[in-house]
Amino acid sequence: MFFLKEETKVISLHPSYFGPNVREYLITRLNEEEEGRCTGDHFVICVMDMVDIGEGRVMPSSGHAEYTIKYRAIIWKPFRGETVDAIVTSVKPTGIFTLAGPLSVFIARKNIPSDIKWEPNTVPPQYTDHADQVIEKGTSLRLKILGVKPDVAAINAIGTIKEDYLGPL
Amino acid sequence: MLLRLPPSLHYPITVTSLLKKPGDAVERDEALFWYVYETTVSEGDGLGNRIEVERRFPTRFESTVDGEIVQWKIAKGDIIDDPVDIVEIDEPCAHEIQFGGMCAECGKDMTEYNYNTEILGTERATIKMVHDNTALTVSKNEAARVEEDAKRRLLESRRLSLVVDLDQTIIHATVDPTVKEWKEDKDNPNHQALRDVHEFQLIDDGPGMRGCWYYIKLRPGLEEFLEKVAQLFELHIYTMGTRAYAQQIANIIDPTRKLFGDRILSRDESGSLTAKNLQRLFPVDTKMVVIIDDRGDVWRWNPNLIKVSPYDFFVGIGDINSSFLPKKQDIGETNKVPVKVIKEKPPTEHHVNGASAKPEAGNEVSALEQLVSMGGGDNPILLKEQTHAQEETILHQVEDRPLLQKQKELEAEDDGSAESSEDSVDESQEPIKPRHHLLEDHDRELYQLQDRLEQVHISFFEEYDKKRSRALGGRVAELKGEKVASRGKGVDLRLVPDVKEIMPQIKRRVLGGVVLVFSGVLPLGTDTQNADISLWAKSFGAVIAPKISPRTTHLVAGRNRTAKVREATRYPNVKIVTTQWLVDCLAQWSHVGEGPYLLPVHPDDRGEPFSPGSRELAESSWLSSEDEAAGSLWTEEEEGNEDLFRSSGLETSSIGYDADEQAAVHDELKEFLGSDDESESDSETSFLADENAGSGKKRKRDEGASGGENDEETVEDDEDESDIAGSRLSQRIKRSYERSTGLREVATATSSGTDETASERALPSGPEGEEPDASAAGARSGLAVSYPEDEDDELEREMLAAFEDGDYDPKAEEDIAAENG
Repeated sequence: MFFLKEETKVISLHPSYFGPNVREYLITRLNEEEEGRCTGDHFVICVMDMVDIGEGRVMPSSGHAEYTIKYRAIIWKPFRGETVDAIVTSVKPTGIFTLAGPLSVFIARKNIPSDIKWEPNTVPPQYTDHADQVIEKGTSLRLKILGVKPDVAAINAIGTIKEDYLGPL
Repeated sequence: MLLRLPPSLHYPITVTSLLKKPGDAVERDEALFWYVYETTVSEGDGLGNRIEVERRFPTRFESTVDGEIVQWKIAKGDIIDDPVDIVEIDEPCAHEIQFGGMCAECGKDMTEYNYNTEILGTERATIKMVHDNTALTVSKNEAARVEEDAKRRLLESRRLSLVVDLDQTIIHATVDPTVKEWKEDKDNPNHQALRDVHEFQLIDDGPGMRGCWYYIKLRPGLEEFLEKVAQLFELHIYTMGTRAYAQQIANIIDPTRKLFGDRILSRDESGSLTAKNLQRLFPVDTKMVVIIDDRGDVWRWNPNLIKVSPYDFFVGIGDINSSFLPKKQDIGETNKVPVKVIKEKPPTEHHVNGASAKPEAGNEVSALEQLVSMGGGDNPILLKEQTHAQEETILHQVEDRPLLQKQKELEAEDDGSAESSEDSVDESQEPIKPRHHLLEDHDRELYQLQDRLEQVHISFFEEYDKKRSRALGGRVAELKGEKVASRGKGVDLRLVPDVKEIMPQIKRRVLGGVVLVFSGVLPLGTDTQNADISLWAKSFGAVIAPKISPRTTHLVAGRNRTAKVREATRYPNVKIVTTQWLVDCLAQWSHVGEGPYLLPVHPDDRGEPFSPGSRELAESSWLSSEDEAAGSLWTEEEEGNEDLFRSSGLETSSIGYDADEQAAVHDELKEFLGSDDESESDSETSFLADENAGSGKKRKRDEGASGGENDEETVEDDEDESDIAGSRLSQRIKRSYERSTGLREVATATSSGTDETASERALPSGPEGEEPDASAAGARSGLAVSYPEDEDDELEREMLAAFEDGDYDPKAEEDIAAENG
């Protein structure tokens, strides 16, 4: 699910950047460092705006300036039970690996409808029900997240397409 | 799942009540039953005293798993003394497939644990079986199921699995930017060879992580090879390069992904950075797997392995991804380049000498490699070091441009040699002048490899069909009639033969019965039995012996004029071959004819041709004693070697020296010597005589061996032998005593020539010393004790040679004198 979240970040700046462009520089730094980051709990999708940059405080002994920036960002926190669209990255006899944006979701064979079978002899290999449903590398899928597990700098999730309205789009 | 009581309970316990009935759902940590146990505790009595009292404690037992109760194994009132099974619980999910610490089927967190956890959830699925993802783990059962499906499918399409290594096996990669310059420069002598070099850039690699260009040369014939082999095998890539690197290579060699699909395993997923492990890809069984790789050691000489000779196109670069691997043992393939060059190329073109180029490259990285080879395992500090080392190797290549240096060297050499003629040549002639080019493109390995893979494939399915028809045929087929016919199309996994048995069988035939001795191939002090080349040769059925004996069939000589080469000339059945012979045999999987590989014995060792008269004389005078000596040799040496043969896992009988083999050896020898043989009959005596003539002639070649080198070699050899020397010393003395009779005969048969050479050995300072026979013999016997083997037959050979050509060349004599003095 997407949220607009207010966060703070402390950026320490080298004295050589002190000047009329400090603000622009801080914005660039913030965007570079925050956007696309995975905290283990959520993904930062986009920094929206700066609420408050605050005054820089020069640190004793180093000369660096510390800026405490308050900003708003769009974040995505995947939840159990959430339905997302994903793209298949590879298919294996044990299941399907997909990417829903930055999140990697694995669909075990058990969570694939039983009429969609593993077909290793095609190039590339695929899951198919020998009718109009074909799942191979690059296919778009709609899936439901069954479980989410945060890691240090990544989130793993498992999903299912064994429900109504799920499966290849 | 059957729950069992943990051993940590306070036994004996008494079950007081069961809380669940069969059919009830139970959650983890939910109470299953109550029990009581008795124990003594100390209590205060309210007066400050502590007393020990027996107490009964009621406790509940909690379930460690979720599920539904199927059946109780205990009942109310039971007294339990030790751990027993208590209840069977049917789990809704056995968590057999896990992804990133979660069960992939039910979504439960597998890393959770509390006081009640007996087995961590993640322990249920520990096998990584997907090539490109390490987050997915499966249980043993699941792995077996998946693999069984795969095997069934392969058998139906009559294919096997083939694990392919990249670097130096099917491609050669470098990051030396010189390649690009040469490739674009049409006038560059290397342009021709570089035309089809592929290039790509990896962003997160190389110095400063700024992106680094890789240049990839495909092994000649690769496309065709993969095409053909893919019909017989399902291909997998297993490389020590990074994931990105492997992907890029796969894009080049297999743009449509028809061949490899996404069956690519790189070092990012390998799990070990120092060794490759077949279990990573085939966790359950490896019966249908063949590996091709240029490094045997990283696979620990796995029986599924077909070792190929490394593809070394960019001279001196080696394997750019080898920083993580243990240091490579060079096996003298370096000889290959010059040998081939001489055969294939016109003489105007010179080529860099592989032998001189290689060691240099070796020195450059040796410190680094040593650092790397020290460790292994998953030590993070070491890992960092190794990664650093890898970066350094790449940096080194990018900045120092080893190829350019080599080419410069080469051209400098060229200029040096051609300077005199070049003075008059003006610039217009420059392009015409054939410049040396460093890079050669004439590798044939893949064509041979294809044959070998086909061979393995055929033998495998022959064996499989045989087993299957046996299992299906006969009475069963009669009784079951049609049913069997339909079953015949299916596959029976129990009948699958094992590549691990089939391949060694084929390989063992190649050099079966061959007994090798190395000379000048391995550095002194290396374990001759466990060096790379020895292990490789042994996998082909050869036996490696430390020293020459009558059983020896081949002497593999890395260089000429070693003591062992000289010694080998004494045995007519020992073929002295170059290392290339062995390498070619191993590469081609066939016992290559020794003819072209026979070591040209040094010209100094070669005497003048026999005159027919003297030859016959030599035979008649030598036959008696030599025959005896040879006979005794046989029996004496036999015992000592017995252990060796047994340890090598070979039956002694299989190497028996029967009449047929003897004849074959004899024929080959004759062909080699090109002797216009006179009276040839099959009778034993003439055969022996002939053989002796051959040996006599061979010996003559060594006659002029220089004294200095001789001594050095003798010491080296003595070191080899020192462990066995003690027990055999007496035998040798005896033998030399026997020989002395022959020597005397010789001495009496001729005049001055013998004396001169003999005295030269005895008294090196006096080149023209005139010593009587007796003192020469005395000196000789003295020497025979100190240098048991080499010294005395050196002498013998010289004496014989001198005796054989009566008109001894005075010039050669002077040479010897100079060398000795």
